[in-house]
Amino acid sequence: MKKTKELKKLLAVVFAGAIAVTAFAGCGESSSSSDSSSKDSATSGKLMSNEEIIKKAAADGKVGNWGLGNEYEILALLQKYDLPTKYLSEDFTMDGFDQDDITLASAMTYNELGLVKNDYDGGYKYGDTVGTIDMNDEGVAMLEDNIFCTKEFPKKNPNTVKAFLYASMKGWAYAVKNPEEAAQIVFDAGSSVSSDHQLYMAKEVAKLVTTDTKGKTVSDYGNIDEDAMQQTLDLCKKYVQLDDSSASKKLEGFTLDDIRDTQYIKAANESKDGKFGKLEKTDVTIQLKWLPQAQFMGYYVAQAKGYYDEVGLKVTITPGGGDISETTAVNNGTVDFGVTWVANLTSANAGGMDLLEIAQVYQRSGLELVYKKDLFTK
Amino acid sequence: MIRKRKSLWRRLKENKVAQGVSSVLLPILFGVLILALWQGQVLHKIFNTDTNTLPLPSRICHIIIDNIPAFAQNALYTLLVAVIGLVVGSIIGYLIAVFAATFQKWGKGGLTIVGAFNAIPIVALAPVMTNWTKDISSDPNIRSMFAKTLVVMIVCIASMSINAFRGLTELKPFALDLMKSYAAKKSTVFFKLRLPNSVPYVFTALRVSVPISIISAVVSEYFAEYIVGVGREIRENIVLGQYPTAWAYIVVACLIGLVMYGVLMLVESIVLKNRRIK
Repeated sequence: MKKTKELKKLLAVVFAGAIAVTAFAGCGESSSSSDSSSKDSATSGKLMSNEEIIKKAAADGKVGNWGLGNEYEILALLQKYDLPTKYLSEDFTMDGFDQDDITLASAMTYNELGLVKNDYDGGYKYGDTVGTIDMNDEGVAMLEDNIFCTKEFPKKNPNTVKAFLYASMKGWAYAVKNPEEAAQIVFDAGSSVSSDHQLYMAKEVAKLVTTDTKGKTVSDYGNIDEDAMQQTLDLCKKYVQLDDSSASKKLEGFTLDDIRDTQYIKAANESKDGKFGKLEKTDVTIQLKWLPQAQFMGYYVAQAKGYYDEVGLKVTITPGGGDISETTAVNNGTVDFGVTWVANLTSANAGGMDLLEIAQVYQRSGLELVYKKDLFTK
Repeated sequence: MIRKRKSLWRRLKENKVAQGVSSVLLPILFGVLILALWQGQVLHKIFNTDTNTLPLPSRICHIIIDNIPAFAQNALYTLLVAVIGLVVGSIIGYLIAVFAATFQKWGKGGLTIVGAFNAIPIVALAPVMTNWTKDISSDPNIRSMFAKTLVVMIVCIASMSINAFRGLTELKPFALDLMKSYAAKKSTVFFKLRLPNSVPYVFTALRVSVPISIISAVVSEYFAEYIVGVGREIRENIVLGQYPTAWAYIVVACLIGLVMYGVLMLVESIVLKNRRIK
């Protein structure tokens, strides 16, 4: 009698173990089945045009974007081709693209696109078998990474703002000329990604900082280009959907003066030595939009090279990530400066915040739609 | 004068109707007071915040009324996920409990494992489920609904099976003895004794499961592929700095929870009318 009891107990344990093992095995299966055959199949036939690709992907309902304020260029692109403005929610990996759940996926040139193409750690190794659609070429570009603060801050601390911009732009200027060194500096500062990917990112970001939406070279970094800014604001007005009627009314009435002020970056770029008189505040913080990576290399370089020290500032760089909202952090005074996208700043202002762009670091849109060429051949 | 007042107070205290009224009225009055302090911006002074981070109730109501179709659609999807997950999960949980109560030596160990599922955070479960259910359907809406419902289901299975198991096994000793002395069959013991005994425990489980099902539905929407639902809207609006709209969706999420809890209370009071155990 006792023996059977023990046997039963043993069986129960084995049974439970088996369930646990199958459960965990199942977990791994879904993510490792990614090496699909489509990766290696040779592309044959003629590649479709951008318009045909977008229309096909939209008809299949397989256009992807992260949402959360990153989707407006995609909506504008879909509308441009008279397509329904529906997209799938992408997570922060490219697994959905890899497994063909999303055939036309959003990717930043400096981040996701590198992971899709390259073969370093974490890459999907697609190389030249993927093609891209550039938002700048499609005429729906919206400006991304900027520097912003509250409207009140530069009024109280004009010299601090100018000095901060001067030193930051000096950092950016050095970084875009020396991407290898910049990538290493960011990596040492506590990188979230591998050093290979960091270097790729540094090189791609340099292109965004030094080229405008029309492909012309920019020399005065951080300049707030009137036309590109206006296009961004116009697209915001058209595609930012706010349920709050008072906020959407406010958005409708926005002009460029409600979201940016060019005087500080002009003063910073005109200065030869970064001396603007007595600094009102010497300890300042800047909140990044995302984790430490070469996307923000200018600030890390300015920090490491002592450019902030030269102008008499002590700067703390606060990384973002996940759902940390940089607009909220700046608006409630937790930090002094922030890096965000113009669309995020505009909708935050419509929602009741009082924010002001003081420099536009990225001169063109870094968003592209990536697709596998073999899925879009005729 | 004082004596008279005292007796009136005592009379009020002993009056059943007055007791009932006060137990309803006092919480309502408290709620109204909080709302008044909120609208009057006294709360903002206490918490040292502004009307942007903590929008006024009037503005929140205004947003909801302005967008009833959008709010109704999002609320419907969240409600569907929560209710289907709750019902299916609870039924499966109960069946597991029946199985465990029938084969008690195996069952107890099995229940421990089910209980362990309860300890998995929803935040971890939701993305895994979204990944798992990618091949269910080519329609991302159906796929996402399935993944979200699955999360709610798993969470509800645990609390139901553990509670129901207790209801099925923790019998009054003399009752089981009596059944044995009647030489009752196992099935008779189950249907006449165990099953009725478990009913109050089922409601205990549901009282826990109903709020959890809403929370799981809201959180799993964060990770779903298809963009819909109250939880998703809360997140999108907070990231976009639209606090008044985010608050409006938070209010809707609260309302869904209250309605579901109210329905549960109603059903419970009908089912357990003559058999309160307390």
